[in-house]
Amino acid sequence: MNERVAIVGYKQTKHTVDSPVARERMIYELVKSLYHDMGITKDDIDTFVLASNDFTDGRTISEVFMVPRIGAYMKDETKVEADGLNAALYAYLRILSGLYNTALVIGFSMAGSEFRVPLTQAYTMDPAYERPRGLINFYSTAALQAGAYMKKYRFSDEDLAQLTLKNIRNANNNPFAARKEPDASVDTILGSRPLYLPLRQAHVSTYADGACAVVLSSKKTAKKFTDKPVWIDGVGHVMDTYYVGDRDLLAMNHLTAAAKKAYKMAGIKNPKKEIDLAEIHTNFASEEPVLAEAMGLFKPGSGKDVVKNGESAITGALPVNPSGGPLGANPINATGLIRLAEASAQLRKEAGQNQIKGAKTAVVHAQDGPGAQLNTVFIVRR
Amino acid sequence: MGRNVAIISVGYNGRFISKRPDINIPELIQPAVNNALSKTKLKPEHIDAYVVGNMHTFEGVNQPHLWASDHFNGSGKPVMRIATGGTTGASVYQAAYYHVASGMYDVVMAIGWEKQDEGDSQVGLMGILLPEAFSLFHFGPDTTSDRGIAGLGGGGSTGGAAFQAMSYLTRANAGIEHIDRVAALMRSNAAKNPYAHLQQPGCTEADIAGTPIISYPLRFGHTCPTSCGAIAMILVSEEKAKKFGLTDRVAWVKGLGSGTSDATTGNLIEGQITDPAEQQICKITAKKVYSMAGIKDPRKDIQVAEVYSGFSHQDLMWPERLGLFDEGMAPKMLDKGVYAIDGELPINPSGGVTSTNAIGASAMVRVGEAALQVMGLAEGGHQVQRKIENAVAHGWGGLFQFVTITVLGKTPVKK
Amino acid sequence: MTEETRIIESTWDLTAYQFKIEADALNLFVKGLKDKKILGRKCRVCGTVYVPGPTYCRKCLVDIDQVVEVSQEGRLDAFTVSLADVRGKPVENPFISCTVKLDGTDSFLMGVLEGWTDWRSVKEGMRVKVVFKDVTQGALADLSHFQLI
Repeated sequence: MNERVAIVGYKQTKHTVDSPVARERMIYELVKSLYHDMGITKDDIDTFVLASNDFTDGRTISEVFMVPRIGAYMKDETKVEADGLNAALYAYLRILSGLYNTALVIGFSMAGSEFRVPLTQAYTMDPAYERPRGLINFYSTAALQAGAYMKKYRFSDEDLAQLTLKNIRNANNNPFAARKEPDASVDTILGSRPLYLPLRQAHVSTYADGACAVVLSSKKTAKKFTDKPVWIDGVGHVMDTYYVGDRDLLAMNHLTAAAKKAYKMAGIKNPKKEIDLAEIHTNFASEEPVLAEAMGLFKPGSGKDVVKNGESAITGALPVNPSGGPLGANPINATGLIRLAEASAQLRKEAGQNQIKGAKTAVVHAQDGPGAQLNTVFIVRR
Repeated sequence: MGRNVAIISVGYNGRFISKRPDINIPELIQPAVNNALSKTKLKPEHIDAYVVGNMHTFEGVNQPHLWASDHFNGSGKPVMRIATGGTTGASVYQAAYYHVASGMYDVVMAIGWEKQDEGDSQVGLMGILLPEAFSLFHFGPDTTSDRGIAGLGGGGSTGGAAFQAMSYLTRANAGIEHIDRVAALMRSNAAKNPYAHLQQPGCTEADIAGTPIISYPLRFGHTCPTSCGAIAMILVSEEKAKKFGLTDRVAWVKGLGSGTSDATTGNLIEGQITDPAEQQICKITAKKVYSMAGIKDPRKDIQVAEVYSGFSHQDLMWPERLGLFDEGMAPKMLDKGVYAIDGELPINPSGGVTSTNAIGASAMVRVGEAALQVMGLAEGGHQVQRKIENAVAHGWGGLFQFVTITVLGKTPVKK
Repeated sequence: MTEETRIIESTWDLTAYQFKIEADALNLFVKGLKDKKILGRKCRVCGTVYVPGPTYCRKCLVDIDQVVEVSQEGRLDAFTVSLADVRGKPVENPFISCTVKLDGTDSFLMGVLEGWTDWRSVKEGMRVKVVFKDVTQGALADLSHFQLI
């Protein structure tokens, strides 16, 4: 068995809302340039784990035409049908078992140009009751959560706009983000189209065409690939109950459970102190304080102060989504994996304009389902 | 290598059948989960994690495990969804294996299902190629005759399988009668399996030969049904198996692997280089898996096989590609009675996929049936009576390009 | 079915998607058909010849820039005889769909096979040639069928 696994290479596409190339070309170019950057070939990879979804891809067995594009022809391959961070988790388990030493993990989607995201999300809802009734969906669930948080903790529309603005500015400085709004302000955000109040268009993540690839390696072989390995020291994933009415959307207990598992594995006792940055999969800006607090990064209900004091800004005590997060680009299926890549970039001091000084430990999060029903948490260290 | 992992229980929701209008997807899964638990002393709280999967475009519910999580006791637990087409069930089981082998979890449940009465399977299958088909229309195909597009698609509703069947028959110097014969054996085997869908006791070659040809050499009698059903399996670490006092009646995972080539017979927009009847990827993966399982000569060391055959010619082809017979020898082995439940190397005592096909479950059913054979717990007269030391289970999916292989055995590989 | 159970109509709407498809391989292929040529691409590393030819090699994961014209004769590979429609009704004029490996290529081309009277006498390995429509226009339909030699 392998005792430790590292991220030894990562790369993401420049995400866009309308990719000039087809998805096959997109992942081919990405994987090829990742191999090139790392100075390796496809034969250095033992196992390939894809993340995609037949609904978001609009085709049955969507990986059929994708696998040869990543160098998996005549090799070992499998697919996780959830966010890409779960594919990374599976690759991690495969390497831990000792059967493989290296894995390529890739997530991709054409959420920007090929399909309407709310439509594929609607297919997630129970077809007999929730779907035809149409009241509960990803948007309305997030709005219920946002409304509850804002009311309980006096988190104002302006606070939410400030939080959104922080992420938009981070995305502006992130060369991979699709969203570029140099002129964004609290006013433009407050004036954007209302969707499910308190949620407005500006709060929604940017559905994008894009992909992300990560190479994992056992400790045994990591040195061969890089002198800057990023170690996966903790993982946790927990499913919440399905019916939104049965969940505590404010406490997000199952996310807390997933995070605690990951912290315990990584030997983290005080996440607020020991973690230097967080990359969180938020589909809506309003999720950021709720999810971050459930992971123990901030005191429950402290969202207002965190925004006011700039604690979660790049220069703050615990930066959240220095990349801009999914508000900058949300190529569904790749989004959580991008969080892992962005955290790795921070720990390796390769985050460019958004670089945080002296970051050593990061927490990475991904979600699936309406209102973050399935949460996955990684702790990574340099 | 990882920790030793054992399958300790295999549960079904009941008999696989065409239509279950009385229940929904979560209600289909739940009885299989309960059945698997009831065969052990375990309770839901003993399960550390769940790995689940189906082919969700067949039923039109995106990521139905989210909806079903309460019904398989997954809420509050780690849940991972795997889907790889026809191999889904086996890929789910393999992921469950890695959950345990990695040392992260001790007791893991794998669940695969399909409720095919809730969707149109043809739409689901067409969905594989639809974008390619759409794109072909941009390049001016012949739409004036019914042969134009059909010629490019090939083989009507049997798709590329008819090409593969013809290619196989040529290589093996065999005829359609061999496909009829193996199809009849599978249907009569199914009659001895209380969970199988199409059960025809004493089904003969003539019964199958009486069904119309769709696309030569494949007949209706050579194709699989569309079934509703679910399977759940519990996998545990060696330590837990000992702790539970379960080391006699378990199936040890000795070797496993999954492989891919390219999309064959159907790759209309870019030249396809892989021969679908040669199945190089199956041979490569089998070699890897046997080596992991410490199997030197599969013909001697393996006593029963469960292969995934959506079309009956594959019941002849796969055992050869898995190294159980020499290439081209399967029809002769069938005629010699080697294939039968009481034969020297029984193939699909369960009746196989041509008798029962709930797609997302099918590849796991192969593993589950192999496990039951090793445990000696196959019900209703399809238990092989010869001593079984090792069994091999196989799955295929995609456009004849994915393959999954597992070797299970009575004794674990020494670490 | 019990009183509590109802069937609900629903769809998976594939027309809601706008697919982007790589067109390089088929663009080149139909361009060749217009001139009654079969064009493909050849990998400079492993020599694999693809028809229609993608711009990358599946085996080597490298770009392919070499366009090659290939032979219009080849070997009949797999085939199937369509005797019934999807509902099982026998068709009046059975036809053979086949895959052909043109000489010097490594990939299979699909089409309709002509030049036979009894389909039972058709065998894998027979020689075939490409037959074009008399007037070509740069479309897949330009390749009429494969003819037994």
